[in-house]
Amino acid sequence: MPSRRRTLLKVIILGDSGVGKTSLMNQYVNKKFSNQYKATIGADFLTKEVQFEDRLFTLQIWDTAGQERFQSLGVAFYRGADCCVLVYDVNSMKSFDNLNNWREEFLIQASPSDPENFPFVLIGNKVDVDGGNSRVVSEKKAKAWCASKGNIPYFETSAKEGTNVEEAFQCIAKNALKSGEEEELYLPDTIDVGTSNQQRSTGCEC
Amino acid sequence: MSMEASELQDLSDDADYAASQQQGSASMMRCDSGKRSSPSEHDDAELIYLKDNVAIHPTQFASERISGRLKLTKQDSVLFLSWIPYKGQTSNAKLSEKDRSLYTITAVPFTEVRSIRRHTPALGWQYVIVVLTSGLAFPPLYFYNGGVREFLAIVKQHVFLARSAEDANVFLVNDFQSPLQRTLSSLELPSSLPVASGQYPSDGGTSNDNQGRASADVGNRVSSVNQYGLRKQKSHDPTRDLSIHLLEKFSLVTKFARDTTTQLFSENNGFGSIDKRWNNQPVHSYPEKLSNIAEEKHQESPHSYLDNDPFKDEEIANNVDVPDDPLEVNKLSLVWGKPRQPPMGRKEFTAFLDSEGRVVESKALRERVFYGGIEHQLRSEVWPFLLGYYAYDSTYAEREYLRSVKQMEYATLKQQWQSISPEQAKRFTKYRERKGLIDKDVVRTDRAFEYYEGDENLNVNIMRDILLTYSFYNFDLGYCQGMSDYLSPILYVMENESESFWCFVALMERLGPNFNRDQNGMHTQLFALSKLVELLDTPLHNYFKQNDCLNYFFCFRWILIQFKREFEYEKTMQLWEVLWTHYHSEHLHLYVCVAILKRCRSKIMGEQMDFDTLLKFINELSGHIDLESTVRDAEALCICAGENGAASIPPGTPPSLPLDDIMLYPLEDDVL
Repeated sequence: MPSRRRTLLKVIILGDSGVGKTSLMNQYVNKKFSNQYKATIGADFLTKEVQFEDRLFTLQIWDTAGQERFQSLGVAFYRGADCCVLVYDVNSMKSFDNLNNWREEFLIQASPSDPENFPFVLIGNKVDVDGGNSRVVSEKKAKAWCASKGNIPYFETSAKEGTNVEEAFQCIAKNALKSGEEEELYLPDTIDVGTSNQQRSTGCEC
Repeated sequence: MSMEASELQDLSDDADYAASQQQGSASMMRCDSGKRSSPSEHDDAELIYLKDNVAIHPTQFASERISGRLKLTKQDSVLFLSWIPYKGQTSNAKLSEKDRSLYTITAVPFTEVRSIRRHTPALGWQYVIVVLTSGLAFPPLYFYNGGVREFLAIVKQHVFLARSAEDANVFLVNDFQSPLQRTLSSLELPSSLPVASGQYPSDGGTSNDNQGRASADVGNRVSSVNQYGLRKQKSHDPTRDLSIHLLEKFSLVTKFARDTTTQLFSENNGFGSIDKRWNNQPVHSYPEKLSNIAEEKHQESPHSYLDNDPFKDEEIANNVDVPDDPLEVNKLSLVWGKPRQPPMGRKEFTAFLDSEGRVVESKALRERVFYGGIEHQLRSEVWPFLLGYYAYDSTYAEREYLRSVKQMEYATLKQQWQSISPEQAKRFTKYRERKGLIDKDVVRTDRAFEYYEGDENLNVNIMRDILLTYSFYNFDLGYCQGMSDYLSPILYVMENESESFWCFVALMERLGPNFNRDQNGMHTQLFALSKLVELLDTPLHNYFKQNDCLNYFFCFRWILIQFKREFEYEKTMQLWEVLWTHYHSEHLHLYVCVAILKRCRSKIMGEQMDFDTLLKFINELSGHIDLESTVRDAEALCICAGENGAASIPPGTPPSLPLDDIMLYPLEDDVL
């Protein structure tokens, strides 16, 4: 039976345009930073193998376009997510203020089975900028927000310098795994979509 | 309902099918819609509901609204929905019979309907959106005389209708799972694709020659497939019927192609490049000086397809049975896709102009650009014509005058935001947000390309100024990511701020809908693409359907910025000037999509890619697509698809101008 267990963990990175979603993903997966990432159009993902307690998992990290106008695409990409990473720029109040929108939009579009307990992780990125002098969102403020949303884990990172990125993603992977295991408890290993569809249509009483 | 009843209900909508069943000759199933009668006309069908003055609005223009009659009928205890546009009552002569019938909904069984969303605003028309289980949606049906509530009440008497727990305006049809789990379907609505049933008048509305008949015949078959998609799972699969039909139609072509090539090879007359393409090996050529700007994004990723040629078919795992390509594209393109000529130079261009500088035959010029592009130094003179900024019949003097007038106009527009003081900006959130977005994007647009590279690059600032000015010029559309990708080559070519701005404005007249807030322009193009694949590669279409890939989001980037991220800089410019000629079609970019997908079809189906894998695969094709052979394939596909291809693309699909606006551009002669 254990051979059928899930090994793919799907993670979605969301946040305003230019907060560093692509950079974080590339820093974590490729250990590289470039000043020349382009604005993400549509969506893309990278994968990385992670190990937990002798089990090997594939972390599939989805990077999406940050402009609100593209949010309607989310439906196709958010489906089946195990963890959602919200990213803001500690030097931009607006990117912090928008976190609520991103969180709600994700819950609406991904419609996870247990929205109350769906794992989010918050990342405040770009702590390196200007030696921290241009920072406008305090750690305290960010932590208060996390507390108000059911104790979301919080990390402050610099994708440019690689600060705290590994730690943040380890937490992300752990949370994704947890949400995956909960699903395993009440979902069968495989879901035959074809069968369930058929049941639905033949169950018609008309 | 029992299993048997369900089997029956699936088939009951097709009289011919039923008849063939009775005769025990199901294999001879016919889908000729000229003969088939819909259940509403059938003797057994019971009319449940009828509503007049229910309309669809294919575009935002009132003159293009199509009114019709909405019906619910019941046959063998299955409820069907149909909407038939009125005949000959249109207020707009431009709206052809074909356009109207494209949207006809002929007897869709409710077993295929996932949900109905109602929209009943206090002001304005009520409408419903019907979403199918396939994930596709019909365009909104506007109830001009009201009555959405009554309509839903009647539906509810015949099928199980449950209100979504998440959205009180969404009604799930035959949803026996937990409504909570199913709310996703309701939320998909804003992004659902509109469906046009693609039924064409059987006379084709065209000539009576054999060609016309053959096309109309294909059209009918396509429509019958669309309307009875449910039966696709059954053993007698109408899509098979269609693909067999297409195979027959195109086998002639393929045979012709084969004969032609054999001849070419035997004559051994220096078709070396064709020889290569014939062997299915795309020719990769990257000029040395441009190789440094090849996608940095794709340097390394663990599951990369880059190691092997993505277009190679040989390494298909698992011995998966890949259905044959009904249209062998490489062979077709040998017949119909013409090889590229060297780019047009100044001498040649001057020959297209009369003594005062008018383009005498714009079509000939566009043809020339289509088949070879333009030498770089000449682009700044020809692009403004292609983009519609210069009129083809303008003289040198008129263009000179236009440039000076437009330069002043640009300065005025630019002043609008330049005069915003820091104090005013504090109270102008929208301005600050737009400027912030633009600032962030220009510094990450093509910075590896020498024209924009380096700190404090002035061209980056000019790009910012133009985009900010555009966001004031078109305040409703504003700025959207992807616009800087379009502007970058234009500025590089024009090397003049005002001229670049006006060329960009002209381009956005056509492609602005790509950036609409509701993403409608993108959805119509993705929808048209799905129709073209269905027409030109039914097995691939079926594969996408089975694998939940029909939304074609994996082609989103291709279409949004017309392959800007897929080719290196110079190649992108070559492609764009070809697309902008609108020589064979305004929508050649969609045929380019089909051409690339067809080149990868064996890989996609052979490796049984799911949506995620497909998206990754498509993203990683970037930098690995051969432009010339792809454009040639696209041309061949476009010619092959002919009228049926054009009919698959709903009117008003970008970059088509909205129909009402065509008169604003009378100088574009035969560009329609």
